[in-house]
Amino acid sequence: MRSLLNFLVKYNNLIIFLILEGVSIFLLATGNNYQNTHFVLGVRRITSGIDKKISNARCYLDLREVNRTLAAENIALKKRISQISKEESSLFFSVNDSVYKQQYQHTSAEVIQNSINRQKNFFTIDKGKRQGIKPDMAVISNDGVAGVIVGSSDNFSVAMSLLNLDFKLSARLKTNDYFGSLTWDGKNPHQAVLNDIPLHVSVNIGDTIETTGYSAIFPEGIMIGTVSNFKKTGGDFYKITVSLLTDFRKLRFVDIIANMKKTEQLELQNQYQ
Amino acid sequence: MINSVLRFLLIFILLVLLQVLLFDNIQFSGYINPYVYIMFILLLPVEIPAWLLLLLSFILGLTIDLFSGSPGMHSSATILAGFVRPYVLRVISPRDGYEAGSDPSMMTYGFRWFVTYAIIIVLVHHTALFYLEVFRFAGFFRTLFRVLLSSVFSVSFILLLEYYRKGK
Repeated sequence: MRSLLNFLVKYNNLIIFLILEGVSIFLLATGNNYQNTHFVLGVRRITSGIDKKISNARCYLDLREVNRTLAAENIALKKRISQISKEESSLFFSVNDSVYKQQYQHTSAEVIQNSINRQKNFFTIDKGKRQGIKPDMAVISNDGVAGVIVGSSDNFSVAMSLLNLDFKLSARLKTNDYFGSLTWDGKNPHQAVLNDIPLHVSVNIGDTIETTGYSAIFPEGIMIGTVSNFKKTGGDFYKITVSLLTDFRKLRFVDIIANMKKTEQLELQNQYQ
Repeated sequence: MINSVLRFLLIFILLVLLQVLLFDNIQFSGYINPYVYIMFILLLPVEIPAWLLLLLSFILGLTIDLFSGSPGMHSSATILAGFVRPYVLRVISPRDGYEAGSDPSMMTYGFRWFVTYAIIIVLVHHTALFYLEVFRFAGFFRTLFRVLLSSVFSVSFILLLEYYRKGK
Protein backbone atom coordinates (compact mmCIF):
# COMPACT_ATOMS: atom_id res chain seq x y z
CA MET A 1 0.00 0.00 0.00
CA ARG A 2 2.75 2.34 1.00
CA SER A 3 4.72 1.62 -2.12
CA LEU A 4 1.64 2.29 -4.19
CA LEU A 5 1.21 5.66 -2.47
CA ASN A 6 4.89 6.40 -3.00
CA PHE A 7 4.50 5.56 -6.62
CA LEU A 8 1.47 7.85 -6.95
CA VAL A 9 3.28 10.72 -5.26
CA LYS A 10 6.39 10.27 -7.32
CA TYR A 11 4.62 10.13 -10.65
CA ASN A 12 1.57 12.24 -9.86
CA ASN A 13 2.29 14.72 -12.66
CA LEU A 14 2.71 12.00 -15.21
CA ILE A 15 -0.55 10.47 -14.04
CA ILE A 16 -2.44 13.76 -14.25
CA PHE A 17 -0.94 14.31 -17.69
CA LEU A 18 -2.01 10.87 -18.87
CA ILE A 19 -5.54 11.29 -17.49
CA LEU A 20 -6.09 14.71 -19.07
CA GLU A 21 -4.50 13.63 -22.34
CA GLY A 22 -6.69 10.55 -22.23
CA VAL A 23 -9.80 12.69 -21.86
CA SER A 24 -8.73 14.86 -24.80
CA ILE A 25 -7.91 11.94 -27.06
CA PHE A 26 -11.23 10.39 -26.11
CA LEU A 27 -13.03 13.59 -27.11
CA LEU A 28 -11.03 13.70 -30.31
CA ALA A 29 -11.64 10.06 -31.20
CA THR A 30 -15.34 9.93 -30.39
CA GLY A 31 -15.82 13.28 -32.02
CA ASN A 32 -14.83 12.09 -35.48
CA ASN A 33 -18.33 12.76 -36.56
CA TYR A 34 -18.14 15.60 -34.16
CA GLN A 35 -20.25 18.28 -35.70
CA ASN A 36 -23.28 16.23 -34.70
CA THR A 37 -22.48 16.06 -31.03
CA HIS A 38 -24.51 18.00 -28.53
CA PHE A 39 -21.27 19.36 -27.19
CA VAL A 40 -20.50 21.26 -30.35
CA LEU A 41 -24.03 22.23 -31.21
CA GLY A 42 -24.53 23.60 -27.70
CA VAL A 43 -21.43 25.73 -28.05
CA ARG A 44 -22.37 26.84 -31.54
CA ARG A 45 -25.50 28.27 -30.01
CA ILE A 46 -23.33 30.53 -27.85
CA THR A 47 -20.76 31.48 -30.46
CA SER A 48 -23.18 31.78 -33.37
CA GLY A 49 -24.65 34.86 -31.69
CA ILE A 50 -21.27 36.56 -31.96
CA ASP A 51 -20.67 35.19 -35.46
CA LYS A 52 -24.03 36.52 -36.57
CA LYS A 53 -23.17 40.01 -35.34
CA ILE A 54 -19.83 40.02 -37.16
CA SER A 55 -21.48 38.71 -40.29
CA ASN A 56 -24.19 41.39 -40.09
CA ALA A 57 -21.59 44.10 -39.91
CA ARG A 58 -19.70 42.68 -42.87
CA CYS A 59 -22.87 42.38 -44.92
CA TYR A 60 -23.05 46.08 -45.72
CA LEU A 61 -19.61 46.12 -47.24
CA ASP A 62 -20.53 43.52 -49.82
CA LEU A 63 -23.89 44.92 -50.89
CA ARG A 64 -22.77 46.07 -54.30
CA GLU A 65 -21.27 42.71 -55.15
CA VAL A 66 -24.32 40.87 -53.82
CA ASN A 67 -26.68 43.02 -55.89
CA ARG A 68 -24.67 42.35 -59.00
CA THR A 69 -24.79 38.56 -58.58
CA LEU A 70 -28.49 38.66 -57.76
CA ALA A 71 -29.24 40.66 -60.89
CA ALA A 72 -27.21 38.25 -62.99
CA GLU A 73 -29.02 35.30 -61.48
CA ASN A 74 -32.38 36.95 -62.08
CA ILE A 75 -31.63 37.43 -65.73
CA ALA A 76 -30.51 33.83 -66.11
CA LEU A 77 -33.70 32.62 -64.46
CA LYS A 78 -35.88 34.89 -66.62
CA LYS A 79 -34.23 33.49 -69.71
CA ARG A 80 -34.96 29.97 -68.57
CA ILE A 81 -38.58 30.79 -67.83
CA SER A 82 -39.11 32.18 -71.29
CA GLN A 83 -37.46 29.11 -72.80
CA ILE A 84 -39.55 26.72 -70.76
CA SER A 85 -42.84 28.51 -71.43
CA LYS A 86 -42.05 28.53 -75.14
CA GLU A 87 -41.47 24.81 -75.18
CA GLU A 88 -44.59 24.07 -73.25
CA SER A 89 -46.83 26.27 -75.34
CA SER A 90 -45.82 24.34 -78.44
CA LEU A 91 -47.20 21.19 -76.84
CA PHE A 92 -50.91 20.61 -76.49
CA PHE A 93 -51.26 21.55 -72.85
CA SER A 94 -49.29 21.30 -69.63
CA VAL A 95 -50.29 19.55 -66.43
CA ASN A 96 -49.20 21.40 -63.35
CA ASP A 97 -48.76 18.51 -60.99
CA SER A 98 -46.11 20.02 -58.78
CA VAL A 99 -46.12 17.29 -56.12
CA TYR A 100 -45.36 14.61 -58.63
CA LYS A 101 -42.72 16.54 -60.48
CA GLN A 102 -40.86 18.25 -57.73
CA GLN A 103 -37.92 16.31 -56.41
CA TYR A 104 -35.75 18.99 -54.93
CA GLN A 105 -36.64 21.74 -52.54
CA HIS A 106 -34.46 24.84 -52.23
CA THR A 107 -33.94 26.97 -49.14
CA SER A 108 -31.69 29.99 -49.14
CA ALA A 109 -29.41 30.69 -46.20
CA GLU A 110 -26.55 32.89 -45.16
CA VAL A 111 -23.12 31.68 -44.12
CA ILE A 112 -22.28 33.19 -40.76
CA GLN A 113 -19.02 31.46 -40.01
CA ASN A 114 -16.55 29.87 -42.38
CA SER A 115 -12.97 28.71 -42.54
CA ILE A 116 -10.72 27.67 -45.39
CA ASN A 117 -7.33 27.39 -43.75
CA ARG A 118 -7.74 24.14 -41.87
CA GLN A 119 -7.51 20.63 -43.23
CA LYS A 120 -11.06 19.89 -42.18
CA ASN A 121 -13.13 22.95 -42.84
CA PHE A 122 -16.72 23.48 -41.82
CA PHE A 123 -19.08 26.42 -42.12
CA THR A 124 -22.16 27.47 -40.20
CA ILE A 125 -25.40 28.73 -41.76
CA ASP A 126 -28.27 30.61 -40.19
CA LYS A 127 -31.03 28.07 -40.81
CA GLY A 128 -31.74 24.97 -38.75
CA LYS A 129 -34.28 22.32 -37.84
CA ARG A 130 -37.10 24.83 -37.52
CA GLN A 131 -36.56 25.85 -41.13
CA GLY A 132 -36.49 22.23 -42.20
CA ILE A 133 -32.74 21.77 -42.53
CA LYS A 134 -31.52 18.27 -41.76
CA PRO A 135 -28.18 16.47 -42.05
CA ASP A 136 -27.21 15.14 -45.50
CA MET A 137 -28.73 17.99 -47.44
CA ALA A 138 -26.67 19.54 -50.21
CA VAL A 139 -25.31 23.08 -49.99
CA ILE A 140 -24.51 24.98 -53.17
CA SER A 141 -23.42 28.54 -53.83
CA ASN A 142 -24.38 30.62 -56.85
CA ASP A 143 -21.45 29.16 -58.73
CA GLY A 144 -21.38 25.53 -57.69
CA VAL A 145 -21.05 22.91 -55.01
CA ALA A 146 -20.18 24.16 -51.53
CA GLY A 147 -20.75 21.35 -49.02
CA VAL A 148 -23.08 19.02 -47.15
CA ILE A 149 -25.04 19.65 -43.95
CA VAL A 150 -23.70 17.48 -41.13
CA GLY A 151 -25.60 18.73 -38.11
CA SER A 152 -28.31 21.18 -37.18
CA SER A 153 -29.64 22.78 -34.04
CA ASP A 154 -32.95 24.69 -33.88
CA ASN A 155 -31.83 27.73 -35.83
CA PHE A 156 -28.33 26.94 -37.09
CA SER A 157 -26.68 24.22 -39.09
CA VAL A 158 -23.09 23.17 -39.61
CA ALA A 159 -22.00 22.04 -43.04
CA MET A 160 -18.90 20.14 -44.05
CA SER A 161 -17.20 22.27 -46.65
CA LEU A 162 -15.91 20.79 -49.89
CA LEU A 163 -12.56 21.90 -48.48
CA ASN A 164 -12.46 19.00 -46.02
CA LEU A 165 -10.28 15.92 -46.24
CA ASP A 166 -13.31 13.77 -45.39
CA PHE A 167 -15.49 15.20 -48.15
CA LYS A 168 -16.25 12.87 -51.04
CA LEU A 169 -18.42 13.58 -54.02
CA SER A 170 -19.38 11.65 -57.09
CA ALA A 171 -18.57 13.86 -60.10
CA ARG A 172 -18.43 13.49 -63.86
CA LEU A 173 -17.07 15.09 -66.99
CA LYS A 174 -19.89 16.96 -68.66
CA THR A 175 -18.66 16.21 -72.18
CA ASN A 176 -18.73 12.41 -71.99
CA ASP A 177 -20.41 11.50 -68.69
CA TYR A 178 -17.50 9.47 -67.31
CA PHE A 179 -17.66 9.71 -63.54
CA GLY A 180 -15.17 9.48 -60.70
CA SER A 181 -14.82 10.59 -57.12
CA LEU A 182 -13.92 14.14 -56.20
CA THR A 183 -11.96 14.93 -53.06
CA TRP A 184 -9.96 17.80 -51.67
CA ASP A 185 -6.26 17.19 -51.09
CA GLY A 186 -5.82 19.89 -48.48
CA LYS A 187 -3.41 21.98 -50.52
CA ASN A 188 -5.21 24.76 -52.28
CA PRO A 189 -8.65 26.20 -51.46
CA HIS A 190 -9.25 26.79 -55.18
CA GLN A 191 -8.55 23.25 -56.35
CA ALA A 192 -9.85 19.73 -55.82
CA VAL A 193 -8.87 16.38 -57.29
CA LEU A 194 -10.99 14.06 -59.44
CA ASN A 195 -9.87 10.42 -59.45
CA ASP A 196 -10.98 7.19 -61.15
CA ILE A 197 -11.36 8.54 -64.68
CA PRO A 198 -9.97 5.80 -66.96
CA LEU A 199 -7.11 6.59 -69.35
CA HIS A 200 -9.01 5.96 -72.58
CA VAL A 201 -11.35 8.84 -71.88
CA SER A 202 -10.44 12.05 -73.65
CA VAL A 203 -9.92 14.84 -71.14
CA ASN A 204 -9.17 18.43 -72.08
CA ILE A 205 -8.14 21.38 -70.01
CA GLY A 206 -11.19 23.54 -69.45
CA ASP A 207 -13.72 20.69 -69.49
CA THR A 208 -16.61 21.16 -67.11
CA ILE A 209 -16.98 18.92 -64.07
CA GLU A 210 -20.46 18.53 -62.62
CA THR A 211 -22.23 16.35 -60.07
CA THR A 212 -23.85 13.04 -60.79
CA GLY A 213 -27.10 12.29 -59.01
CA TYR A 214 -25.79 9.00 -57.64
CA SER A 215 -25.42 9.89 -53.99
CA ALA A 216 -29.02 11.12 -53.63
CA ILE A 217 -27.63 14.22 -51.91
CA PHE A 218 -26.74 16.48 -54.80
CA PRO A 219 -29.06 16.87 -57.78
CA GLU A 220 -27.62 15.92 -61.13
CA GLY A 221 -25.71 18.48 -63.14
CA ILE A 222 -24.62 21.02 -60.54
CA MET A 223 -21.40 22.68 -61.62
CA ILE A 224 -18.27 21.95 -59.59
CA GLY A 225 -15.44 23.39 -61.62
CA THR A 226 -13.27 23.02 -64.68
CA VAL A 227 -10.29 20.82 -65.49
CA SER A 228 -7.12 22.81 -64.90
CA ASN A 229 -4.60 20.01 -65.19
CA PHE A 230 -4.47 16.22 -65.55
CA LYS A 231 -1.84 13.51 -65.40
CA LYS A 232 -1.59 9.73 -65.35
CA THR A 233 -1.24 8.02 -62.01
CA GLY A 234 0.35 4.62 -61.41
CA GLY A 235 -2.81 2.72 -62.25
CA ASP A 236 -4.96 3.07 -65.31
CA PHE A 237 -6.55 6.28 -64.17
CA TYR A 238 -6.12 10.00 -64.57
CA LYS A 239 -5.60 12.27 -61.64
CA ILE A 240 -7.47 15.39 -62.67
CA THR A 241 -6.95 18.69 -60.91
CA VAL A 242 -10.19 20.64 -60.87
CA SER A 243 -10.26 24.37 -60.32
CA LEU A 244 -13.36 25.05 -58.25
CA LEU A 245 -15.99 27.53 -59.33
CA THR A 246 -17.08 28.36 -55.81
CA ASP A 247 -14.85 30.91 -54.14
CA PHE A 248 -14.86 29.69 -50.56
CA ARG A 249 -13.21 32.86 -49.31
CA LYS A 250 -16.30 34.78 -50.32
CA LEU A 251 -18.95 32.20 -49.49
CA ARG A 252 -21.92 34.25 -48.27
CA PHE A 253 -25.34 33.26 -49.63
CA VAL A 254 -26.02 29.58 -50.26
CA ASP A 255 -28.87 27.34 -51.32
CA ILE A 256 -29.70 24.25 -49.34
CA ILE A 257 -31.19 21.51 -51.44
CA ALA A 258 -33.37 18.80 -49.96
CA ASN A 259 -33.99 15.71 -52.02
CA MET A 260 -37.60 14.79 -51.30
CA LYS A 261 -37.28 11.39 -52.90
CA LYS A 262 -34.06 10.48 -51.15
CA THR A 263 -35.49 7.89 -48.75
CA GLU A 264 -37.33 6.21 -51.55
CA GLN A 265 -34.18 5.96 -53.65
CA LEU A 266 -31.97 4.76 -50.79
CA GLU A 267 -34.49 2.18 -49.59
CA LEU A 268 -34.74 0.70 -53.02
CA GLN A 269 -30.97 0.64 -53.41
CA ASN A 270 -30.48 -1.01 -50.03
CA GLN A 271 -33.02 -3.65 -50.92
CA TYR A 272 -30.96 -4.88 -53.85
CA GLN A 273 -27.41 -4.31 -52.68
CA MET B 1 -1.37 36.44 -4.95
CA ILE B 2 -4.90 37.55 -5.86
CA ASN B 3 -3.34 40.21 -7.98
CA SER B 4 -1.34 37.75 -10.05
CA VAL B 5 -4.34 35.43 -10.43
CA LEU B 6 -6.31 38.36 -11.83
CA ARG B 7 -3.44 39.28 -14.12
CA PHE B 8 -3.22 35.79 -15.60
CA LEU B 9 -6.99 35.60 -15.94
CA LEU B 10 -6.82 38.80 -17.98
CA ILE B 11 -3.96 37.44 -20.12
CA PHE B 12 -5.96 34.25 -20.63
CA ILE B 13 -9.06 36.10 -21.82
CA LEU B 14 -7.08 38.48 -24.02
CA LEU B 15 -5.14 35.69 -25.71
CA VAL B 16 -8.26 33.58 -26.30
CA LEU B 17 -10.11 36.56 -27.79
CA LEU B 18 -7.09 37.47 -29.92
CA GLN B 19 -6.88 33.91 -31.19
CA VAL B 20 -10.58 33.41 -31.87
CA LEU B 21 -11.46 36.82 -33.25
CA LEU B 22 -8.23 37.73 -35.04
CA PHE B 23 -5.81 34.90 -35.75
CA ASP B 24 -8.42 32.27 -36.62
CA ASN B 25 -9.77 34.67 -39.22
CA ILE B 26 -6.44 35.38 -40.88
CA GLN B 27 -6.46 33.24 -43.97
CA PHE B 28 -3.08 33.63 -45.61
CA SER B 29 -3.18 30.18 -47.14
CA GLY B 30 -3.65 26.64 -45.94
CA TYR B 31 -0.04 26.59 -44.81
CA ILE B 32 0.00 29.38 -42.27
CA ASN B 33 -2.20 29.15 -39.19
CA PRO B 34 -0.62 30.98 -36.27
CA TYR B 35 -1.75 29.73 -32.86
CA VAL B 36 -0.74 32.46 -30.48
CA TYR B 37 -2.85 31.42 -27.48
CA ILE B 38 -0.07 29.01 -26.45
CA MET B 39 1.75 32.11 -25.16
CA PHE B 40 -0.33 31.77 -21.98
CA ILE B 41 1.52 28.55 -21.15
CA LEU B 42 4.83 30.33 -21.77
CA LEU B 43 4.07 33.18 -19.39
CA LEU B 44 2.95 31.27 -16.29
CA PRO B 45 5.31 31.62 -13.30
CA VAL B 46 8.39 29.41 -13.20
CA GLU B 47 7.45 27.84 -9.89
CA ILE B 48 3.87 26.96 -10.73
CA PRO B 49 3.03 23.41 -9.54
CA ALA B 50 3.04 20.96 -12.41
CA TRP B 51 -0.51 19.74 -11.76
CA LEU B 52 -1.87 23.29 -11.94
CA LEU B 53 0.05 23.91 -15.14
CA LEU B 54 -1.48 20.78 -16.68
CA LEU B 55 -4.97 21.73 -15.53
CA LEU B 56 -4.63 25.25 -16.92
CA SER B 57 -3.33 23.85 -20.21
CA PHE B 58 -6.37 21.60 -20.39
CA ILE B 59 -8.76 24.49 -19.72
CA LEU B 60 -7.00 26.71 -22.25
CA GLY B 61 -7.07 24.02 -24.93
CA LEU B 62 -10.69 23.20 -24.26
CA THR B 63 -11.68 26.87 -24.49
CA ILE B 64 -10.06 27.18 -27.90
CA ASP B 65 -11.68 23.88 -28.92
CA LEU B 66 -15.09 25.24 -27.97
CA PHE B 67 -14.69 28.19 -30.28
CA SER B 68 -13.22 26.30 -33.19
CA GLY B 69 -15.58 23.30 -32.90
CA SER B 70 -12.89 20.66 -32.61
CA PRO B 71 -13.20 18.91 -29.22
CA GLY B 72 -9.95 17.40 -28.03
CA MET B 73 -7.66 18.66 -30.76
CA HIS B 74 -6.29 21.83 -29.19
CA SER B 75 -6.53 20.46 -25.66
CA SER B 76 -4.36 17.41 -26.38
CA ALA B 77 -1.69 19.56 -28.01
CA THR B 78 -1.80 22.19 -25.26
CA ILE B 79 -1.58 19.59 -22.46
CA LEU B 80 1.48 18.13 -24.15
CA ALA B 81 3.04 21.60 -24.25
CA GLY B 82 2.18 22.09 -20.56
CA PHE B 83 3.70 18.72 -19.73
CA VAL B 84 7.04 19.38 -21.42
CA ARG B 85 7.37 22.95 -20.14
CA PRO B 86 9.07 22.07 -16.79
CA TYR B 87 11.61 19.89 -18.62
CA VAL B 88 12.28 22.59 -21.20
CA LEU B 89 12.78 25.14 -18.41
CA ARG B 90 15.24 22.79 -16.72
CA VAL B 91 17.22 22.17 -19.91
CA ILE B 92 17.56 25.81 -20.93
CA SER B 93 17.94 27.24 -17.41
CA PRO B 94 20.20 30.29 -17.21
CA ARG B 95 23.62 29.95 -15.57
CA ASP B 96 22.49 31.28 -12.18
CA GLY B 97 19.21 29.36 -12.19
CA TYR B 98 15.82 31.00 -11.97
CA GLU B 99 15.08 33.76 -9.50
CA ALA B 100 12.52 32.83 -6.88
CA GLY B 101 9.00 33.89 -7.79
CA SER B 102 9.86 35.18 -11.25
CA ASP B 103 7.97 34.94 -14.53
CA PRO B 104 9.70 33.45 -17.54
CA SER B 105 9.62 36.71 -19.47
CA MET B 106 11.91 38.39 -21.95
CA MET B 107 12.49 41.22 -19.52
CA THR B 108 13.95 38.96 -16.81
CA TYR B 109 15.98 36.47 -18.81
CA GLY B 110 16.78 38.23 -22.05
CA PHE B 111 15.84 37.98 -25.70
CA ARG B 112 17.87 34.94 -26.66
CA TRP B 113 16.65 32.84 -23.78
CA PHE B 114 13.02 33.74 -24.46
CA VAL B 115 13.27 33.00 -28.16
CA THR B 116 14.72 29.53 -27.52
CA TYR B 117 12.05 28.87 -24.92
CA ALA B 118 9.21 30.04 -27.19
CA ILE B 119 10.48 28.12 -30.23
CA ILE B 120 10.72 24.80 -28.35
CA ILE B 121 7.27 25.01 -26.75
CA VAL B 122 5.59 26.28 -29.94
CA LEU B 123 7.19 23.52 -32.00
CA VAL B 124 6.02 20.83 -29.59
CA HIS B 125 2.51 22.28 -29.57
CA HIS B 126 2.22 22.83 -33.31
CA THR B 127 3.64 19.44 -34.20
CA ALA B 128 1.09 17.67 -32.00
CA LEU B 129 -1.72 19.94 -33.22
CA PHE B 130 -1.17 19.68 -36.96
CA TYR B 131 -0.64 15.92 -36.97
CA LEU B 132 -3.74 15.44 -34.82
CA GLU B 133 -5.66 17.67 -37.21
CA VAL B 134 -4.95 15.60 -40.32
CA PHE B 135 -4.91 12.38 -38.23
CA ARG B 136 -2.89 10.50 -40.82
CA PHE B 137 0.71 10.20 -41.87
CA ALA B 138 -0.02 10.48 -45.57
CA GLY B 139 1.49 13.75 -46.70
CA PHE B 140 3.93 13.65 -43.77
CA PHE B 141 6.28 16.27 -45.19
CA ARG B 142 3.55 18.64 -46.21
CA THR B 143 2.23 18.62 -42.65
CA LEU B 144 5.78 19.11 -41.41
CA PHE B 145 6.12 22.10 -43.71
CA ARG B 146 2.88 23.54 -42.31
CA VAL B 147 4.15 22.99 -38.77
CA LEU B 148 7.41 24.83 -39.46
CA LEU B 149 5.86 27.71 -41.37
CA SER B 150 3.08 28.24 -38.83
CA SER B 151 5.57 28.03 -35.98
CA VAL B 152 7.64 30.81 -37.52
CA PHE B 153 4.56 33.03 -37.60
CA SER B 154 3.35 32.05 -34.12
CA VAL B 155 6.76 32.73 -32.59
CA SER B 156 6.99 36.08 -34.38
CA PHE B 157 3.59 37.16 -33.08
CA ILE B 158 4.46 35.95 -29.58
CA LEU B 159 7.69 37.98 -29.67
CA LEU B 160 5.77 41.04 -30.83
CA LEU B 161 3.28 40.66 -27.99
CA GLU B 162 6.11 40.10 -25.53
CA TYR B 163 7.87 43.26 -26.74
CA TYR B 164 4.63 45.15 -26.30
CA ARG B 165 4.28 43.79 -22.76
CA LYS B 166 7.89 44.73 -22.03
CA GLY B 167 7.34 48.22 -23.30
CA LYS B 168 4.56 48.84 -20.86
